[in-house]
Amino acid sequence: MQFRKSYPSILFLAIALGATAARASQAPVPPATTVPKPTAQVTDELGRKVKVTTDVRRIVSLAPNLTETVYALGLQERLAGDTDYCDYPKEAAGKPHVGGPMSPSIEAIVALQPDLVLATTSINRVETVAALERVGIAVYVSDPHSVEGLLAGIRKIADITGASASGKSMVDDLQARLDSLHASLNGSTPCRVLFVVWSSPLISIGQGTFIADALKLAGAESVVKSTRNWPEMSLEEVIRLRPEYLVFARGHDDPDAGNLDALRKKPVYRDLKPVREGHVVSVSDSIDRPAPRMIDAIEALAHQLHPEVFAALRDDFGPRDWDSASWLPAKAGAKEGYLCGR
Amino acid sequence: MRPLTPRRLLSVCAILAGVLFVVVVLSLRLGAYSISSGDIVMTLINRVIGRTNQIPSEFNLVVFGLRLPRIALGILVGASLSVAGAGFQALLRNPLADPYVLGVSSGAALGAILSLSLAPHSPLAMQGAAFLGAVGTIAAVYFLGRRGGQLDSSTLLLAGIISASFLSAIISFLMTTLAGRDLRGMAFWLMGDLSSAPPADPGRWFGWLFFVFFIAAGAIYTTASDLNLILTGEEEARHLGVHVGRVKLVVYVSASLLTGLAVSVSGSIGYVGLLVPHVIRMIFGSDYRLLIPATAIGGAIAIVFADTLARMVVAPTELPVGAMTALAGAPVFIYLLRRRMR
Amino acid sequence: MSGEADSARTGAGSASGSFPPGSGQNPARVLVEQATYAYAATGRDAPEFTLGPISFEGDRREVISILGPNASGKSTMLKLLAGVLKPLSGRVQIDGSDASELDPRVRAQRVALVQQESALLFPLRVWEYVLQGRYPYGRRLRFQSAQDCRMAENALLQVGADDLRDRWMEQLSGGEKQRVILARSLAQEPSLLLLDEPTQHLDIGGKVELLRRLRRLADENRFTVVVVTHELNLAAEFSDRIVLLQKGKCMRSGEPTEVYQRDLLEQVFQAPLEVHMSVTGKPRVLVRDPDIAAARPGWTIDPN
Repeated sequence: MQFRKSYPSILFLAIALGATAARASQAPVPPATTVPKPTAQVTDELGRKVKVTTDVRRIVSLAPNLTETVYALGLQERLAGDTDYCDYPKEAAGKPHVGGPMSPSIEAIVALQPDLVLATTSINRVETVAALERVGIAVYVSDPHSVEGLLAGIRKIADITGASASGKSMVDDLQARLDSLHASLNGSTPCRVLFVVWSSPLISIGQGTFIADALKLAGAESVVKSTRNWPEMSLEEVIRLRPEYLVFARGHDDPDAGNLDALRKKPVYRDLKPVREGHVVSVSDSIDRPAPRMIDAIEALAHQLHPEVFAALRDDFGPRDWDSASWLPAKAGAKEGYLCGR
Repeated sequence: MRPLTPRRLLSVCAILAGVLFVVVVLSLRLGAYSISSGDIVMTLINRVIGRTNQIPSEFNLVVFGLRLPRIALGILVGASLSVAGAGFQALLRNPLADPYVLGVSSGAALGAILSLSLAPHSPLAMQGAAFLGAVGTIAAVYFLGRRGGQLDSSTLLLAGIISASFLSAIISFLMTTLAGRDLRGMAFWLMGDLSSAPPADPGRWFGWLFFVFFIAAGAIYTTASDLNLILTGEEEARHLGVHVGRVKLVVYVSASLLTGLAVSVSGSIGYVGLLVPHVIRMIFGSDYRLLIPATAIGGAIAIVFADTLARMVVAPTELPVGAMTALAGAPVFIYLLRRRMR
Repeated sequence: MSGEADSARTGAGSASGSFPPGSGQNPARVLVEQATYAYAATGRDAPEFTLGPISFEGDRREVISILGPNASGKSTMLKLLAGVLKPLSGRVQIDGSDASELDPRVRAQRVALVQQESALLFPLRVWEYVLQGRYPYGRRLRFQSAQDCRMAENALLQVGADDLRDRWMEQLSGGEKQRVILARSLAQEPSLLLLDEPTQHLDIGGKVELLRRLRRLADENRFTVVVVTHELNLAAEFSDRIVLLQKGKCMRSGEPTEVYQRDLLEQVFQAPLEVHMSVTGKPRVLVRDPDIAAARPGWTIDPN
């Protein structure tokens, strides 16, 4: 009985407090600079319509691959901030940091007063993008699923930031390298490889990933036909699938990945055909980073998987340093003879 | 003999509100974007008296767009979780009960994960789905936890634990098998994270949240003196005229709603609902007429403080607030245990 | 500690409001008339256990003891008196109203059931515990008034636990705890005080003290006390009325001297017993040595 009597007063109190809270937190006035700069509407790779100023002076990058892209486009002077993880090129580590890619400080980003923030679906969270939208900062979200998409994305970012010329020339170069690679590999049977993301537990790649696409361009195909992005598998499955090559990504955490001697000592692994035959290849981990260096990694992989095809090139140009951004054009006309598919 | 008087109730609440005020001021002051205390005060005053155009747009943005909403959310979540925890401890007659023991947060997590995989780019959908998941679990556990038509403490506890494990198993299954979706956001959600941005109209959103909070917390508060009696024995309480069945139902539904509310906007922040009631009891006694408002304010203090720490400890990276409560929670828990043993 | 001090008593037994003002009627405090009850395992089975019909009356200042072997329905009878169970036929009335029909709040103002203590979850002070007895008189959030504090204070004095006031419940000894529980029931200002085997865990000194106290409380507060107990002799000493049950039937109800008949007791308790009179005029029950009785037939004194 007392319970029912207190209903009206509680209701009243709740409404009153709710109304007070509502009044106190109206949406903030979006930031207006002293002179409003002309803006253009841009559609990002998620289909979002973003208003970006036509004169982008300050960029904040929220992912390592985007930072690399910014440097490759020659825009490093305009990079106002990046994340703790941005490590390539080395100068990027010296830029002001806004935190990790997954949990950057919105305030730090605001403090840098960016004209444009670059984010990507592969490592950033949708909450971060939403929070930045809410405070009125233009965010371009990149969403590459293939190498082709990557190149198109780089073009777009170049156009938005006013670096169209260097963007076009870089992308054209990269495309040319890929075309030449394609031509060299034309006719070669793709190598059946198992791409190892992580050894224990054994994790490989799905058909929808970037790496799968990169493999195709490098003249290889993943033996794992899964729709999940990072399928976990058992060694039994590996034996059943009979890959010709094992490919490891060489990263900071795992610089010894793909070390043949170590694998030769590992139980079960040492009995796998690729290990016995020495068909173990490691590539730089930039094969998983959607940035220009990926093309280098693809080329490196192609060279290791199809040595006969590229032997002539090697003789002409000497050993290549795959970690530097070298832009040597590929020579057309490859020799016959290949290791894969036999 | 010093029974609880309205005056003591108000003075305790005033003291705690004072502490909360200090913590809020601290939280307003600290952040990646540097803004002096004087500027903060000016911004607040200008806003309150309506001179919004006098405030530099960035101050407005940082104070009202970023920090205040986060603080307000922290207060809401902290108060909800603590009151829910205190309620469950009485309902289940178990000092180890926390708001998640009856599976509400697992249901919410399931809703969140389904929303994340079906509509990955809408944080608002995730909140709604999480709340729906919570409500569904509340209903299911209610029907499972009845015995002879009434809620029975031990049956309810068992039903809740079983539901929680079952739902967690489903969540684990989904997290490993959902095709192609990177459920990165889930990791943050499961830890508890206050950085979710309110939607474009924060006024209504906060108004609605606080409205639900006051209704549910108010409902529990009307049963405060009943709970005092129930804690000394259910049969005894019945003989003293307490409507035990009705009280249990009210506490169950309200505490679960509070938990669902908190969890759907901030994920499952741990330890607060368990420990804050105990700490308040240690300082102010077990009388629920005082405990409920005191834990509400105490929980708000705890969360705002923990969130401030989480933002500053490894700045500019922002830790999820759940990580901070877990770190601080364990030692506090051990200390409480030892005091009880003495 | 002498519990006789009653200077602070402010007529705690008056329980104002239990009679409609101006009613000339003064019904017996407790009226049980042909009350019956039955338990069955499920609703449709034949009753496993039937209680009644039972009739007895209790007036103010009376102590009534319900005796009987185990499973004779004593606790059920107590529950009927407490209004927790509704009699299948007949009636159980307290101050003229059916116990089970009363609003729980009003019933709590009239009937207090003293139970064994249950484990407390959180630390509680004695005075807080006793103050909970005032719950039936409070409104809304139930902030206790000065009147409530006075009643609780009285209750503690009456049980001689006044000095325990600021102690923690969990620190009390068994006897102290029981007194505090009794005090809480007294704080309800009941017309009827019910106790279910309160002497179980007490030593003989404790038993005597408790029953003596109940006797005194019944006198001072002018309420009725109904005790379920196994203590035949103490019950005889301190009760005004005895209700003797066996397998749910009321074998006899009346004054101790009427009820304590050797044959009847032997039949009910299935034990060799003999009944003597004490110097105070109250019957005493002793275990009879069967051999002696056989040797000297007729030695037991029949107080009739």
